[in-house]
Amino acid sequence: MRYRFLFEQMVRRELRRKYQGSALGVAWYVVNPLVLMGAYYLMFGVVFKVAEHDDYPLFLMVGLVVWIFFSQALMSAAPALLDQGSLIRKARFPRETIPAAVVTVQAVTFVSVLAIVAVVTFALRGVGWSVVLLPLLLCALFAFVLGLSLLVSVLHAYFRDVAPILAAVLLPWFFLSPIFFTPDDITHREGARAALEWVNPVAPFITAVRDVVWGGVWPSGATVLYVVVAGALALAGGAALFRRMQAELAVVV
Amino acid sequence: MRPGEIVLDHASRAFDIRGDRGRTLKELLIPTRPRAHAGGPPPVQALRDVTLRIEPGETVGVVGRNGAGKSSTLRALAGIVPLDSGRAECGGRVVTLLELGAGFGRDFDGRENILLNGALHGMTRAEIEDRMDAIVGFSELGEFIGVPVKTYSSGMFVRLGFAIAAHIPADVMLIDEVLAVGDEAFQRKCEQRIAERVHEGATLVLVSHDAALVERTCERVVVLDGGAVAFDGPAADGMAHYHEMMGTVTA
Repeated sequence: MRYRFLFEQMVRRELRRKYQGSALGVAWYVVNPLVLMGAYYLMFGVVFKVAEHDDYPLFLMVGLVVWIFFSQALMSAAPALLDQGSLIRKARFPRETIPAAVVTVQAVTFVSVLAIVAVVTFALRGVGWSVVLLPLLLCALFAFVLGLSLLVSVLHAYFRDVAPILAAVLLPWFFLSPIFFTPDDITHREGARAALEWVNPVAPFITAVRDVVWGGVWPSGATVLYVVVAGALALAGGAALFRRMQAELAVVV
Repeated sequence: MRPGEIVLDHASRAFDIRGDRGRTLKELLIPTRPRAHAGGPPPVQALRDVTLRIEPGETVGVVGRNGAGKSSTLRALAGIVPLDSGRAECGGRVVTLLELGAGFGRDFDGRENILLNGALHGMTRAEIEDRMDAIVGFSELGEFIGVPVKTYSSGMFVRLGFAIAAHIPADVMLIDEVLAVGDEAFQRKCEQRIAERVHEGATLVLVSHDAALVERTCERVVVLDGGAVAFDGPAADGMAHYHEMMGTVTA
């Protein structure tokens, strides 16, 4: 891999750009989900009581950090190629490194925040053996997010509508994802429950990570299989489309 | 392809210049070129069946009016812009200088940017670190090498950019109008450095409007006009042709 070093350098530049000049640095990425967690706790845990779960704030937090990684990565990958337009027009290098670096930086933040949440959760609720699954789940999640980010970034370079469409889609998507509830909490109809669980490709990732970190139980075999297959498919599909569309990038950005 | 050899074989490339390209997702996934054009200006033919063969070690100046296809030729050779038809290939390692300091991280200091920029040119960490001192020395930046490049003057910026490019191992150098940078002393230093690289056996393709520079640096001149080759031959004859074309004949 001749360009591994390039990738490393791009990640460093991205990290620098993100944290330079902010006094709290990475702490912002803990503060943001904490604030959201507080708001959703108030809304769904106290006011509306959608769901009854032990340690509900932690339950919320695990789902939220997964969602925030997913949505932030896509939202920052979308304009990434355009932002680096001058580079793309002037130099020849594998263009995948640009969205890949952006996603990697988001992943670094995500893993740091998740580690904090996990330590607190383990301290309060104990650890299950299922935690050994966590690296596999995180790899699958990374592949899934990277694949979709490649797709979104290259599409946005050609069609500037992609980022606004994405922003519009992510909001309802958030509320349909099992972040502050489990599908069982809100419906007992078999079909609706299955749809919430399986149609939304982010749902199994959230469920699996929460089973392991918050529940201390093994996620179902079907969930784990789903997550691995979804990660592989997204990455293969995203990379294939990116490769197909990248040739004209220097002309369109 | 031998290292240093350059081939353009019946290369053609058009650019759609309509602001509203009106492409659909379907069109994009199932390429349908040539597309039917519904109104608006027709596409610009930047390269029109260009065939060039350049031997290793040759020094070629590419001249022509604005819009004659000079930069498109270079970008096609560099593999940045694909051709509609034909073939563009360079043998061996290629270093492309289209803009000095493209891709610098503004919050990075000089050394960090040397690493980043070297990586963009496909170098490994070891390769860059071997050359670090030479690059820093060449750039004449002194203590400024340790501060973020956003504090640099534009002259310092391009000096660093050139210093990096000048130390990348290359069989082919593609240079687009970037030598008019820095003060005169630095320009001379750049020219000298390029001459050294040529002496070591590198092939040079130089796009420039600076007739004197082309005459000093190149043995062969290609005059482009309207995307096609209007003249290809020894530098003196080529520049004569160029001046005639431009109406700038000087006794």
